[in-house]
Amino acid sequence: MKSLRAVVVAAFFLLITVAVQAQDVASFEKRTTVRKLSNGLTVILMQRAEAPVFSFYTLVDAGSAQDPKGGSGLAHMFEHMAFKGTPNIGTMDWVKEKALLDKVEKAYLAYDYEKRKILGRDEKKIADLDAAWRKVAAEADKLVKLNEFGQLVEEHGGVGLNATTFNDSTVYYYSMPANELEMWAYLESERMLHPVYREFYKERDVVLEERRLRVDSSPIGRLVEQSLAAAFVAHPYHVSGVGWHSEISSVTATDAHEFFKTYYTPSNITLAVVGDLQVEPTMRTIQQYFGKLPAGSKAAELRTVEPAQNAERKATLREPGGQPWYLEMYHRPGYTDPDDAVYDVIGDLMSNGRTSRLYRTLVRDKKSALFAGGFSGFPGSKYPNLFVFYAVPNRNKTLDDLAGDFKGEIERLKSQDISDDELKMIKTRIRADLLRGLADNEGLATQLATAQARYGDWRELFRQVERVDKVTKEDIRRVANKTFVANNRTVGVIDNTKVEEKKAEAGKEGN
Amino acid sequence: MKTLRTTLSALLLVSAFSLVTWAQGAKSSAKPEAVAKPAAKPAAAQTASNPAIQAIEKRKPRLPEFKPQQPVRIQLENGMVIFLQEDHELPFIAGTVTIRGGAIHVPADKAGMNGLYGQVWRTGGTKDKTGDQLDDFLEARAAHVEAGGGTDSSTVSFDCLKNDFDDVFKVFVDVLKNPDFRQDKLDLAKQQASTSISRRNEDPGAIIGREIRKIGYGADNPYVRQAEYWTINAITRDDLVAFHKQTVHPNNMLLGLVGDFDAKAMEARLRQEFGGWAKGPGVPKPRVAFKDPKPNVYFIEKEDVNQSQIQLVTLGLRKDDPDYYAINVMNEAFGGGFAARLFSNVRSAKGLAYSVGGGIGTEFDRPGLFRLVVGTKSETTGKAIDALYEEIDKLHTQPITGRELDLAKANILNSFVFNFDSKSKVLDEKETYEYYGYPLDRLEKFRAGIEKVTLDDVQRVVNKYVERKKFALLVVGHAADFDKPLSRYGTVTPIDITIPTEPPGKASAADEDPVRESNAEGKTLIAKVVTASGGAELLGAIKAMQVEADTVANTPQGEITLPTLAISVYPDKSRVVMQAPFGEIVTVSTAQSAFRSMGGQTQDMPAALREESQKGNKRDLIWVTQHANDPKFLFRTGGTVKVGDADTTILDINADGVGLRWFVDGQGHVVKTAYRSVGMQGPTMRETEFSDFRATDGLTLPFKRVVRDNGQISATVTVKSVKINPEVPAGAFEKQ
Repeated sequence: MKSLRAVVVAAFFLLITVAVQAQDVASFEKRTTVRKLSNGLTVILMQRAEAPVFSFYTLVDAGSAQDPKGGSGLAHMFEHMAFKGTPNIGTMDWVKEKALLDKVEKAYLAYDYEKRKILGRDEKKIADLDAAWRKVAAEADKLVKLNEFGQLVEEHGGVGLNATTFNDSTVYYYSMPANELEMWAYLESERMLHPVYREFYKERDVVLEERRLRVDSSPIGRLVEQSLAAAFVAHPYHVSGVGWHSEISSVTATDAHEFFKTYYTPSNITLAVVGDLQVEPTMRTIQQYFGKLPAGSKAAELRTVEPAQNAERKATLREPGGQPWYLEMYHRPGYTDPDDAVYDVIGDLMSNGRTSRLYRTLVRDKKSALFAGGFSGFPGSKYPNLFVFYAVPNRNKTLDDLAGDFKGEIERLKSQDISDDELKMIKTRIRADLLRGLADNEGLATQLATAQARYGDWRELFRQVERVDKVTKEDIRRVANKTFVANNRTVGVIDNTKVEEKKAEAGKEGN
Repeated sequence: MKTLRTTLSALLLVSAFSLVTWAQGAKSSAKPEAVAKPAAKPAAAQTASNPAIQAIEKRKPRLPEFKPQQPVRIQLENGMVIFLQEDHELPFIAGTVTIRGGAIHVPADKAGMNGLYGQVWRTGGTKDKTGDQLDDFLEARAAHVEAGGGTDSSTVSFDCLKNDFDDVFKVFVDVLKNPDFRQDKLDLAKQQASTSISRRNEDPGAIIGREIRKIGYGADNPYVRQAEYWTINAITRDDLVAFHKQTVHPNNMLLGLVGDFDAKAMEARLRQEFGGWAKGPGVPKPRVAFKDPKPNVYFIEKEDVNQSQIQLVTLGLRKDDPDYYAINVMNEAFGGGFAARLFSNVRSAKGLAYSVGGGIGTEFDRPGLFRLVVGTKSETTGKAIDALYEEIDKLHTQPITGRELDLAKANILNSFVFNFDSKSKVLDEKETYEYYGYPLDRLEKFRAGIEKVTLDDVQRVVNKYVERKKFALLVVGHAADFDKPLSRYGTVTPIDITIPTEPPGKASAADEDPVRESNAEGKTLIAKVVTASGGAELLGAIKAMQVEADTVANTPQGEITLPTLAISVYPDKSRVVMQAPFGEIVTVSTAQSAFRSMGGQTQDMPAALREESQKGNKRDLIWVTQHANDPKFLFRTGGTVKVGDADTTILDINADGVGLRWFVDGQGHVVKTAYRSVGMQGPTMRETEFSDFRATDGLTLPFKRVVRDNGQISATVTVKSVKINPEVPAGAFEKQ
């Protein structure tokens, strides 16, 4: 999520130093091939002969924002299932297992229907149905070869095997020795061709543990979940990607397969491969395996657009035993907005390094914050999203101190032009940071796939710089004045002051 | 240490929502630290049940021969070692100098200094430029120069576009040689360090990560010492300047550069820059003793979680251990990857966890930690602990199979190329070996080492290192929701992670706030102690006492049991004879003199120790009870506090000018004493817990004593016999 944003941000400034840029783009052009297979799958191949290895990044243009109503966390659930194997991988006897899995699903749906009843619940019946599906599931489990898919990747030299579900997309990635290209093509195409919902109901428990780890038992997780729930009222960014407990624990394999059928069509997938590979043989292998994915239309985009916010909102988590946190968030448009670049410049100006405004004011001079920053593209960037300022107060400082300090810095942004030196510094820095990110296969695969999926052309990574070059001091003030206004604001805090102290304060005010 | 990037903390926010398939931090990495030339023949893949896979296997090409480019090694006359690695892919040059000297060289009462040192080294600027000026200069060039303080070294690094090299390298050298450690930046760093301390119990993962290291290595081990408010407060600019002066000499340095430069020209440049720099004193490693942790059950309550963090820990090994390769293979099969036992059984089959992993950890210069790690909902805490123990036992009852061995080796060997797939990885590996004095060709041996591992080797290391009863267990969680009480696994020792605001000595030593007046409760309580000990009459009749005991002393070499005979003649004479393996140690203290004899040598104690020894006589339990009504002895009660399971009342005592604190239980037994003293290692907070109260000669006395100095157990004393008013041999208190 982070790297993705950094790429897009960084790309804007790439062309500023002309000499280096010309060389880069030429070198990229020469080494990069894009093909669209007849089934609609987009493939980008970049040659990089540093070592006999390659990395890939498969981007499915659907993330937790595509979770259906009542099925929060489903995109993520499917992502977990993509590690469970296929009819040929991970089973001792697929025919028997398939029959049992079908029985599990039928039995589970019967249980699920009964369990969800509000009126006329029959607890005995629920318990029986519960026991029934569990019994069949246990039978099915006996036929599983645990984690054979992951094992195959690892024994063929794969490293970094993992996947991530973002709000906007779901991505799969790892790296392999170059001579394992065909094995990779087989494994990756099979999991997209023939997913199986093996151990689905047990994997929900694993995902619930993931929720406990990231959200329930983490103060920042709790704060972010509540703050987003306050900031978005209509758009799916309202719900944390992992989903609500009640929904994670009751989605079905049928739901997961529906999700797969809708969104895992080749026309919705971008595949980037970077490494020590020959173009034509590699493309042939990819065609041979990924060409088997049945064509399907790209799913329709979301209907919902977050309505304009017209009242300030606040999420206050009172956690007297905890530690204070401060977030201040403002709605901004999605990444296709003409002002996208301006937000990125503002983010850099405010928070990149010890020369940034928030560091110098909040950390160095006022000593109110241990750290402070601001960035946009949260919790995703495809749809209208948030510009987030964040900080934690130093020991002797309060959340109110931070609120005041942010107000001062935002006012300054709205009322005064930034200096020429600042603007120049930001551009130089971001350009260099982009270049630094081009030094490994994994990073390149990520960036190429992301740019291709977002803009329909990986070269946008470089071309956008022209837009950024046009960002002026006036743009920064205009966008700041448009965005950073009270009615567009959601404040999220963890307030750890004791309730008694609060009462005492209230008492004082009353007098 | 990169520039303070806001993305780091932004990542905190984002990571809350970053849903990856598995948390790789939990797995034990079987990745070798070494890079090596790959053998031409790949390890045979093992899963071939699927015809499609078999067919692909058959036509798989060989991995082309690949010889990673090695860096050039240069050693200057003054001892400085330099590695140069050309990498022309992008127009950057980066470098890091690693300097011996880190946290392990910092005294305990300044713990945290190395972090401040690393930060202020850079932010505090140089003689000519403030840190802020350097920030402006470097950021305008998208360059970085940063410093950092680590466990056993500190670093200064730079990173720049190659066209800016001259400018940036000048700053790098200036920061390295001429830092000014300006006070304002030290103040800022100290404030931030204090805030960080105040926030250290925010996240359960951070808590267990920290506390398990303290259990594994011992909390006073210099490798894990923890900064506290008072250790941060005690650090001055002079300390930082002194540390720089002490460590920054070319013979303590290793410099590595990678990037778009010509190695020959760069060598000339560096020779010119550093060649004339005079040698200085070395930085010897402190000797640190490592021993397995006590296999106790520890618990930390955290109320705001619904998931328990669970870890088992014992010591691991050094990387130069002959068993290194065998344990790498065992680790891979046990806790290494997706198909390893822990992941498959605890996560996939039982659905108990999202993150689970483990293995025998290794370090270059000390044992690593052998940990098993799992996070599970509060309601399955016991189940998950059982599952970990079950996996440990299964390594013995269901040994690693031939297939598991082959898979583990295939995983390690077939991914081997990723240990040297970039020029900077190769450079890092070489530098690390150089720094820790390992053979530079260790890289080349790794592959052969793994290939040679047999099933017997794996079973041998399992038998040697994997033992259920060796592990300490730590759980961080909300006990009220647990499925099983932790007491199932042993006596539970709660760990209080409340952040102390004052050193342990201060909170409990009456010295800080001497008792000037008895209070009524104090007089009542001492009377109760007198009664519980046997009454004023019997106590008053004690003129001398002889105690025979076994003292188990904790020394850097480990535990030693010392048979001990101690004679006290009140008011002020004591003689302690201990039988050590190397001979008798006799310690005598009287009002006139204090000395120690061992190995035929008699030495007078330094004045400070003699004074303490005399104070010790005054703090004697019997002596104090004998003076319950002496106006020179004052008694004042404090609050109540738990000692072990007992509710105790604090009794602060002024014993004729000497302060101490007692903790008295409901029966009137003194179950603990505490006072500040000066020991061989400097200022000490000594706490002694008493138990096993037994009747002897009409008195009731404790037969067991556990002595803690600064929180660490220094001795455990088990009394074998007590004699009241024994015959005292003539000359017992004189030099022999």
